[in-house]
Amino acid sequence: MKAITIADQPWLSMKRTVKITIDGIKYRLFRASVTVAVITLAVAFLMNILSESLIKRNVAANTRERIQTSRKIYDWSAKLSSPGSPESIVFETADASAESDIYKENQQFAALSDADMASFQAISKKTVFLINFFEDLDYAKRRSMIHRAEGLGILEHLANPEAMETFKVALSRIKSIHFEMPMDELDKLVKQYGTITDITNKILAARTQAIAAVTAKLNGRTLLQALADSEKDFGATIREAGFIFDQQKTAPEISTQAKKLLDTLRLEKSMEIRITHIFPPKEENAKPEKKVEFPFRQLLAQQANVLPADVNVVMMWKHLESKKFAARYLTKMHEVEQLAQKSLTTEADGSSIVLEGISAEEAAVDDLTADRMVELARGRTENAALVRAERLTLDAGKGFMGLGERLAWLLFVSMLVCGIGITNAMMMAVTERFNEIATLKCLGALDGFIMIMFVLESCFMGLVGGIIGSILGGIIGLSRMLVSFGSAFFTAIPLGDLMLGMLISILLGTLLAAISAVIPSYKAARLAPMEAMRVE
Amino acid sequence: MTETTSNKQAAVQPENDSKGRRVIIRTVGLRKSFVMKGVVTEALRGIDVSIYQGEFIAVMGPSGSGKSTFFNMIGALDSPTVGRVFIDEVDVAQLTAEELAYLRCHKIGYIFQSYNLIKYMTALENVTTPMAFGGVMPDEARERGMSLLELVGLKERWHHRPIEMSGGQQQRVAIARSLSNNPSVLLCDEPTANLDLHTGQEILELLQKLNKENGVTIICATHDHRMMNICDRLMWIRDGHIDRIADRADVHIEIGGIDSH
Ligand SMILES: Nc1ncnc2c1ncn2[C@@H]1O[C@H](COP(=O)(O)OP(=O)(O)OP(=O)(O)O)[C@@H](O)[C@H]1O
Ligand SMILES: [Mg+2]
Repeated sequence: MKAITIADQPWLSMKRTVKITIDGIKYRLFRASVTVAVITLAVAFLMNILSESLIKRNVAANTRERIQTSRKIYDWSAKLSSPGSPESIVFETADASAESDIYKENQQFAALSDADMASFQAISKKTVFLINFFEDLDYAKRRSMIHRAEGLGILEHLANPEAMETFKVALSRIKSIHFEMPMDELDKLVKQYGTITDITNKILAARTQAIAAVTAKLNGRTLLQALADSEKDFGATIREAGFIFDQQKTAPEISTQAKKLLDTLRLEKSMEIRITHIFPPKEENAKPEKKVEFPFRQLLAQQANVLPADVNVVMMWKHLESKKFAARYLTKMHEVEQLAQKSLTTEADGSSIVLEGISAEEAAVDDLTADRMVELARGRTENAALVRAERLTLDAGKGFMGLGERLAWLLFVSMLVCGIGITNAMMMAVTERFNEIATLKCLGALDGFIMIMFVLESCFMGLVGGIIGSILGGIIGLSRMLVSFGSAFFTAIPLGDLMLGMLISILLGTLLAAISAVIPSYKAARLAPMEAMRVE
Repeated sequence: MTETTSNKQAAVQPENDSKGRRVIIRTVGLRKSFVMKGVVTEALRGIDVSIYQGEFIAVMGPSGSGKSTFFNMIGALDSPTVGRVFIDEVDVAQLTAEELAYLRCHKIGYIFQSYNLIKYMTALENVTTPMAFGGVMPDEARERGMSLLELVGLKERWHHRPIEMSGGQQQRVAIARSLSNNPSVLLCDEPTANLDLHTGQEILELLQKLNKENGVTIICATHDHRMMNICDRLMWIRDGHIDRIADRADVHIEIGGIDSH
């Protein structure tokens, strides 16, 4: 007779557990692949958003810097031709760090001690805050507070006690406006209006003088031509006048940019060049016959297969990217240069040729080469990409992880979608198998074995889906960014960040899959077998 | 065997009846009701029965009378709504999860009405899974699994999966599986329902042999009248009640009375 004794059930070895799990996955390969596909999709979506965000952030950082550098020539041209306004001085001082050139330069121009300059900067910052505060208000509110005062005029206006009183009354009346500056500080600030105008006027006067000194040394050159020379004597002229113009750092940059701008302008000007042939009248009393020719326009029209009238500068730059065409363009430029040297040419048949739209000096080809033209043309497309990148990444830097508010929100939503997708897929897959769980329990499986089986399986599926998904999402993200940013993209691939993003996506996918499989399987494993079988 | 378990077993003395037979399964006021969409179905309405060690008991009753539900209760696969089940005088409700698993794995063999084979396992794997849970080494399990499959006549089909087999073949795999850990009690829910006369007969002979030679207690739900020739006792269930329990010898005297039930 067989008796019944009871003991504790031993644990199944890990090897057997893994084998049973893998057999299960193999058998349900189709169903498992559907689940994995859902996980893949969810993770790919997440990774796509993440990679795009990261690249955008990097592109934004890179472009801002590059665009600022590429615009230095405009800054200096402006600076050497006009002294600016009191407001512009206040704004640039508020933003500048104590080590920056502009800070030191203004300090020199105003002949201030370090302490005085620092306090001038502090006042400037407050003034900028005040001006911006009123800038952001709508017209009616602004008018009720400070009437029509603008810029530094606001300080002047508020220095009048009556006006200050009006402002304070208006401020207390309009509850929706939050003015962050303490009132006693504002009172102090308006009293310093005199100091501010003193300093800015001093700087303006010094700048005007310095500009005059520089202009005197132009010697008939345009400012841009002179700046192209700034690595040599013109740089010294600028320094002598009192500007801080670094020989090592600023001068080479400015000179290259000036040369580039000169060449660019010269090429763009070629569009306007006209050659007029004047034929002597064949009959007496008749007017002379004229034939006008645009040599460069015609050259381009031929190349682009359009009418000369439709040719524009953008087209010129596009075609100059080809070296062959650039060489032909250069040949034409040499012809025009020769024409320009003889102001009026008379041909054998008595006709004469007049060159218009360009002076003899401007027509000089100088050191321009086909290679240089190609380089300029390519630089232009790059610049266009930069400008485009800047526009596309306007909001980067704010919000979560500096991803920009819109992107951070998108990332949050995609994480949610990813989570719901994976949870749903896994829960469905487990619920379908309650019957199997029940049967295994009838045969003596421990709850722990069932849990391990599902953890293993879901981790495996999560891992596979996560890896495929993150690679897929990354590739899609990278190619999309390549299309929208072009060349600006290559210098901005944040490899480390992308790897981290991939790791996060894979982990998130796996973890979510595991959790969403474990919860229902735990529920089922704890039930009596036949109860589990009854669960729909 | 853990200390708690031995305590539990020591707590209650095995109850022997007047004929000196030892009770292996005993139910007290067993009731089970299912609630589906607010409708209560009473599947068992108070079953008190003692099953003795080594006996072969056939459970009969019309469809829906509660046979399968009764099996799940005494096999420790489901919890009763009211009442208690004692297996070898241990209250099943008192067992821990590990002890329950051990009991289901080693001591009780189940043949389910719907087979409940694992779909992704081959016939052999289905048979050896309970052995794996019981800690038998893979090689030995394989050997024993093959001989069990041979016993039910499916040795050649060891690598087939359930969907590749007929209902009868699946039933025989389920029978082989139920025997994998040499159980003390075998719970069979209509084991011959899908088998032809000949195979059915073989299975019945196998059950009889297990009962007589190995001393396995067999509890068998059936509509098969041949079962009456080999069982020791007969139990009729109707609407969740025990209609009647009788020794085979007594039943044979009143020929013709069986079909009326
Ligand atoms: N999961 C369930 N939910 C609701 N009611 C159930 C459930 N399982 C069984 N029942 C009901 O319990 C009663 C007994 O069912 P059971 O399966 O035990 O019958 P049976 O005697 O095994 O019948 P058969 O001979 O057809 O197998 C039936 O009325 C059935 O409707
Ligand atoms: Mg049944």
